Amino acid sequence: MSPALEVEGLHTHFGGVSAVDGVSLVLEPGRIYGLIGPNGSGKTTLFNCITGVERRDAGRVAFNGQRIDGLKPWQIARKGIGRTFQVIRVFPELSALENLLVVTRGSRVAARERALELLTFVRLEGLRDEYAGNLSYGQQKLVEFVRVLMRDPSLILLDEPAAGVNRTLLQDLLDAVRRLRDRGKTILLVEHDMKVVMGLCETVFVLDHGEKIAEGPPGTIQTDERVIEAYFGR
Amino acid sequence: MNVVITPGMLGQVVISGILSGALYAMVALGLALIFGVMRVINIAHGPFLMLGAYATFVLHQALGLDPYLTLPASMLLLFALGALLQRTLVFRVVDAPELSSLLLTFGISISLVNLAQLGFTSDLRAIEYITGSWPLGPFALSKARTIAFGVALALTGAAFLVLGRTRLGKAIRATSQNRDVALACGINVQGIHLLTFGFAAALAGAGGTLLSVIVAIQPDMGQIWTFKSFLVIVLGGAGNYPGALVGGLLLGLIEQLSSLFLTAQLSEVIAYLLLVVVLLVRPTGLLGGRQV
Amino acid sequence: MSRRAGFLAALAAAAALLAVYPSVASGYGVRAGLQLFMWIALAGSWNIISGLTGYVSFGHVAFFGAGAYAAGILVVKSGWPWLPASLAGGVAACLLALVIGYPCLRLKGPYFAIAMLGLNEVVRALVSYFEGLTGGGNGLSLPTLDAAIPVYYVMGLTAAAVVALTYFVITSRFGLRLMTIREDEVAAEAMGIDTARHKLYAFLLSAVGPGIAGGLAARDQGYIEPVSVFPLATTITMIVMVLFGGKGTVWGPVLGAVVLFVFQELVWARFIYLHQLFFGAIIIAVVLLMPRGVLGLLQIRYRLPRTI
Repeated sequence: MSPALEVEGLHTHFGGVSAVDGVSLVLEPGRIYGLIGPNGSGKTTLFNCITGVERRDAGRVAFNGQRIDGLKPWQIARKGIGRTFQVIRVFPELSALENLLVVTRGSRVAARERALELLTFVRLEGLRDEYAGNLSYGQQKLVEFVRVLMRDPSLILLDEPAAGVNRTLLQDLLDAVRRLRDRGKTILLVEHDMKVVMGLCETVFVLDHGEKIAEGPPGTIQTDERVIEAYFGR
Repeated sequence: MNVVITPGMLGQVVISGILSGALYAMVALGLALIFGVMRVINIAHGPFLMLGAYATFVLHQALGLDPYLTLPASMLLLFALGALLQRTLVFRVVDAPELSSLLLTFGISISLVNLAQLGFTSDLRAIEYITGSWPLGPFALSKARTIAFGVALALTGAAFLVLGRTRLGKAIRATSQNRDVALACGINVQGIHLLTFGFAAALAGAGGTLLSVIVAIQPDMGQIWTFKSFLVIVLGGAGNYPGALVGGLLLGLIEQLSSLFLTAQLSEVIAYLLLVVVLLVRPTGLLGGRQV
Repeated sequence: MSRRAGFLAALAAAAALLAVYPSVASGYGVRAGLQLFMWIALAGSWNIISGLTGYVSFGHVAFFGAGAYAAGILVVKSGWPWLPASLAGGVAACLLALVIGYPCLRLKGPYFAIAMLGLNEVVRALVSYFEGLTGGGNGLSLPTLDAAIPVYYVMGLTAAAVVALTYFVITSRFGLRLMTIREDEVAAEAMGIDTARHKLYAFLLSAVGPGIAGGLAARDQGYIEPVSVFPLATTITMIVMVLFGGKGTVWGPVLGAVVLFVFQELVWARFIYLHQLFFGAIIIAVVLLMPRGVLGLLQIRYRLPRTI
């Protein structure tokens, strides 16, 4: 069985700065991975390159054995990769329900049912007709999270899913992520909250200045010298 | 068309292209600055040029001033107008979605054109000042266009000197790259916006002054300049200021060259096709710049 | 339920009144009605692309002119009756939209706006170039025919069709997807929406109305020339009507068309030279103070349904 995601030698730069500098990683299906690193280390840029939002200069990306580098973002999304954004990007003048409906195709009735199910799961069904822009930060985050699930992607990229979400709901969210993994989905998440990363991820990648400096189980990463230096040193 | 094209004709056309290219570059630089610093798309840029031309016309008629001597006055006037518009209207849409700044400057543009029609009527005006050409070997350099070339080059050069060597220039470039960081560094971003918009308007006004002795002056004359200035920016790369120079030159050359093979009407179509093709093939501009 | 029935009843009554109108109105009155319908069709169509997707089309009058010329040429050179010729005008406009839209809509908003800015001039230049067909600067004269009343009805149907089209688009998922382009195009693409194709469809839909209206206007005026069918003023008026009434709403363009048309008729005669200035001022005022327009504002304030 081919890996869910294979990134090989990814390079991209802005102006004169290398944002992602030769990053390679492999994600096996049905596991939860973490991506950490100091601010500006290129984590979101890496997400953007994988999902086609950012143009890469070099390197390949393969999803389930198929190359996806160079494809448009919507083509990549339709192949089964879903993502959330670091800065929330719900559609503010659509209602919460519409935010979920708009990403679906096919039977509107089935889509609506699924949307209501997901909204109920994050306890937002009462706000389904509220403009997404009027919801609180945490509520918007949840809408964005379930919006990703509407198309039932097999690879899910989450960019700082825990930020701004209250503790109780965070537990539900993390449980949801585990259940998604149990159903065979692959998850890669960027997080700054170390407790979340340690408790959830099976393997962690560490980026610094656009390069991957470490890779391994959370326990090992925590004590890795280079990682400590990246965060606290210099 | 069975016209034989001689090297002489080609050479003449290349020279014409270079001469007009500098003017395109200067006017487009203003637009590039507004977009680079404020992310505003100034549809009123052409009308600024038109007002510069009228300013020269009025001063020439009323005070008998040599049109070229009116340059400082027209630049100052347009600077003031630009600054005023920025301070009262444009600053409100700097952070708004691009749609808002597009529509706002569009509203300003049509208002300015109408005001010009009210003030000057739609009659064509002309300034009979300098005609004829200077010979350069087998070629003829139109005097008015050559002077325009020289002045445009000088002004553009001065602008780049300011951008590259002075603190003000650094502040402008910093604000173009990252406004929040510039703010954090203590740069008066509001002031930079004001100055930039005013200066860009002044550059357009200068273009108008230089044009006033070359073409007929009428309220509509600016429209096509707005479009061409955008074309120059697209060619050179958005946010890439030196790119405006290259883009301007390119536009001038392509226009003149295509006039050899096509009628005047169709060369406008060429400019348009060029825009579409470049946007499709290399949206960051030929020299590479920011993607919008 | 009864609110909806009441609304439909009012609509039916209005339609009946408008249908009866020509039999009691003067020639001028019929013409005015016809023009109002034309503006509703134009504004409503502009709304479909620019109001919903946020992609500002500054050259939309090119479709009106293209429709006028297509219809005019068919009537004059091929002897077509004006009704099918006008419909063909709609098709011609659609084709033009395809040719322009296919490359240009792959660009992001500001670049698209710039490309549309130049479109008008280019189409006008092309019309002048193909003089043999279009009569160039001399224009094209249609055979004399007093068709004001039939054109009134067809234009009315066109306007109604545009409003109905807007309603169906806005209440569909297609329409929702168009709106996401306006809200956040990057996020929309990341969610699997092929934004380029959606923009193109919206653009094509927005060209048909002006194309047909152009053909009908050509019949009504009896004479077309580049300057009369490609004026920037027409695009400006369309834009102001939609901005004022409420972009992205169903009835906003209608409201804007009615209010501004009446304003135009009253002010035009007296202040013809201030026309653009007024419109410019209105655009500036709306953008700064009321960016969603009248109906858009009401919609947000009173939580009205999207079909307003």
